[in-house]
Amino acid sequence: MDTWQITRFTLMTAVAATALMIPPGLALAWLLARRRFRGRVLLETFVSLPLVMPPVATGLILLLLFSPRGPIGGVLTRMGIEVVFTWRAVVLAMTVMGLPLFVRTVRAGFEQVDRRYEAIAGTLGASPLRVFFSITLPLALPALAAGAVLGFARAIGEFGATIMIAGSIPGVTRTLPVAIYTFTEIGRDRDAAVLLAVSAGIAFIALWLSNYLTSRAGLRP
Amino acid sequence: MIAIDIRLEQGTFVLEVHERLETRVTVLFGPSGAGKTTILDAIAGLRTPARGSIVMNGRTLFNSADRINVPPHKRHVGYVSQDIALFPHLDVRRNVTYGQRPGQKLSLEAVTAILEVGGLLDRGVAMLSGGERQRVALARALMSAPDVLLLDEPLAAVDLELRRRILPYLERVRDELAVPILYVTHDRDEARRFADRVVVLDRGSVIRAGDPGVVLQ
Amino acid sequence: MLSRLIVPLLLACLAPPQAGPAPPITVAAAVSLSEVLEAIARAYVAAGGGAVRFNLAGSNVLARQIVNGAPADVFISADEAQMDVVDKAGAVLAGSRRDLVANQLAIVATPERVDFVRREFARAPGGIWRLAIGDPAAVPAGVYARRYLEQRGLWSAYEPRIVPTTNVRAALAAVETGSVDAAIVYVTDLAAARTAVLALAVPAAEGPRIVYPGAVLASSRQQAEARKFLAFLRQSAAAAIFARHKFAPLVN
Repeated sequence: MDTWQITRFTLMTAVAATALMIPPGLALAWLLARRRFRGRVLLETFVSLPLVMPPVATGLILLLLFSPRGPIGGVLTRMGIEVVFTWRAVVLAMTVMGLPLFVRTVRAGFEQVDRRYEAIAGTLGASPLRVFFSITLPLALPALAAGAVLGFARAIGEFGATIMIAGSIPGVTRTLPVAIYTFTEIGRDRDAAVLLAVSAGIAFIALWLSNYLTSRAGLRP
Repeated sequence: MIAIDIRLEQGTFVLEVHERLETRVTVLFGPSGAGKTTILDAIAGLRTPARGSIVMNGRTLFNSADRINVPPHKRHVGYVSQDIALFPHLDVRRNVTYGQRPGQKLSLEAVTAILEVGGLLDRGVAMLSGGERQRVALARALMSAPDVLLLDEPLAAVDLELRRRILPYLERVRDELAVPILYVTHDRDEARRFADRVVVLDRGSVIRAGDPGVVLQ
Repeated sequence: MLSRLIVPLLLACLAPPQAGPAPPITVAAAVSLSEVLEAIARAYVAAGGGAVRFNLAGSNVLARQIVNGAPADVFISADEAQMDVVDKAGAVLAGSRRDLVANQLAIVATPERVDFVRREFARAPGGIWRLAIGDPAAVPAGVYARRYLEQRGLWSAYEPRIVPTTNVRAALAAVETGSVDAAIVYVTDLAAARTAVLALAVPAAEGPRIVYPGAVLASSRQQAEARKFLAFLRQSAAAAIFARHKFAPLVN
């Protein structure tokens, strides 16, 4: 078993997923923190769904959408892009499951930014976009960092949705949690134990870092 | 010249103002809760009146009948609020130059000279004294080259000694930069000393307006 | 007055229950036996047998559960290797192990792709992009599939294209969602397929020897009932049902 390959693959896909969840996550967090609009509660609910639904259920939804016969998967297949049972499915599952955690944390960060600063910046001639990038975002940076670490930790530990749309293909889609599960199923207990130690170590570090950043941001962890 | 004809409602409080502000320094005078800050907010675009219009130097900033509501960042007002609100994550220089636009006539040197904040430019805002914060906030508002300066009780949180020292700066701004100033205070002496014209407010309406000597009996 | 009611009430609660119908026995069985075992269980009840409850999954998963103490009365595995696992752990009731029925492999695909798969399969890998089989490390259907591919000299070509699944029905599902081009399953799984169809059947002479052993588990609390059910599986009524579901009789 290539412990290093599995670990490296998991870390890389988790980093990619974290990067992927930042732009939509920032937009959603800002919308929910700063704007009132019709359907706001609906949006809030949608974003929180993957947190509350069983991960395999979320995985099933993703499978129905992204399999070659699905609405999104069909389009992508015609464009020559395969998703299910590839690394893309791994990143997709990680992103979808990590996004709600990221949005929650960043939203709390935005809500803590004093709107007076944003208002004053506006009177000084800054457009809403400039206010966001020069005032709101820098002042919420600790929350953003905490949210990213949390999303990353969630991505690393992601299993239910991953196993549904990415499967457990050695060297291709086997992340740490998926490998632990598969090795246990086929009787490779010692290998599973090694991977268990690795993922516990990573999770510990990531969570510690997230709590540290959250307390620096002055938010409740 | 600012023409204000607005009605603004907030809960049980109703503000109704119809005024022409033309002089160099107009003081809005009255007890707290009278609506003075609300007027500044309305001019700056931070609050939207229920009805009416605001026209500044011939430019319509707000008109409920025509559904015009220019957003704050396009109104060219310089607002120094009561809580000052210097951006905590930027140093003094970046705070002051925040609203500066390329090619504007007013330079950093000119503004910092008038308010004597040149030596503070590289400091962090957390380390400034009360008086320094006031001057930096003023400099920041001025550097955006506004068409009008809105000052909300700039000396309210400042002790007597400091007050005496800052007032000359305000007078220099008035004299050297020729920006019309709308100044909110509940202090009679400030109003008397600084104003060309006083508008007295109480509970949302203008009860008197005119020469400071006359109006403030 | 109350105490005169309470004591009899308590005694009634503590009294042993009347002898009623025996609780159902639990049969842990390979998932490929899902439909045929339900049919046989119905026949068993009609013939006067007791109720039977099934726990269906990949045989390797079941073997691990049993070894780890999961309660069951009978275990039917899709290959001898997983029965050996249970046997070596001492969980099999001595002398109860019997071979029950045989099976054969089949290569399946969706109707749109079936002709393509037929043409391309032997070209290995040819145009076949992904092939789903049970995990060849331990799932019996996957072990058999690998053995078959190795026999035909196709394994090294297909190995990088293999999508290992948790059990044989998961491989079937992968074909039906279009996520893979083809799958190697048992010929009996086609009856459970909704859209997948047969591309190539592996004849008995060419394929690996597939045998389903069954045994009573040592930890069973209803050994008599368990033995009865296991014996029923070897009688003619059950044989007929197996044949109807396309299972092959044991050859020796």
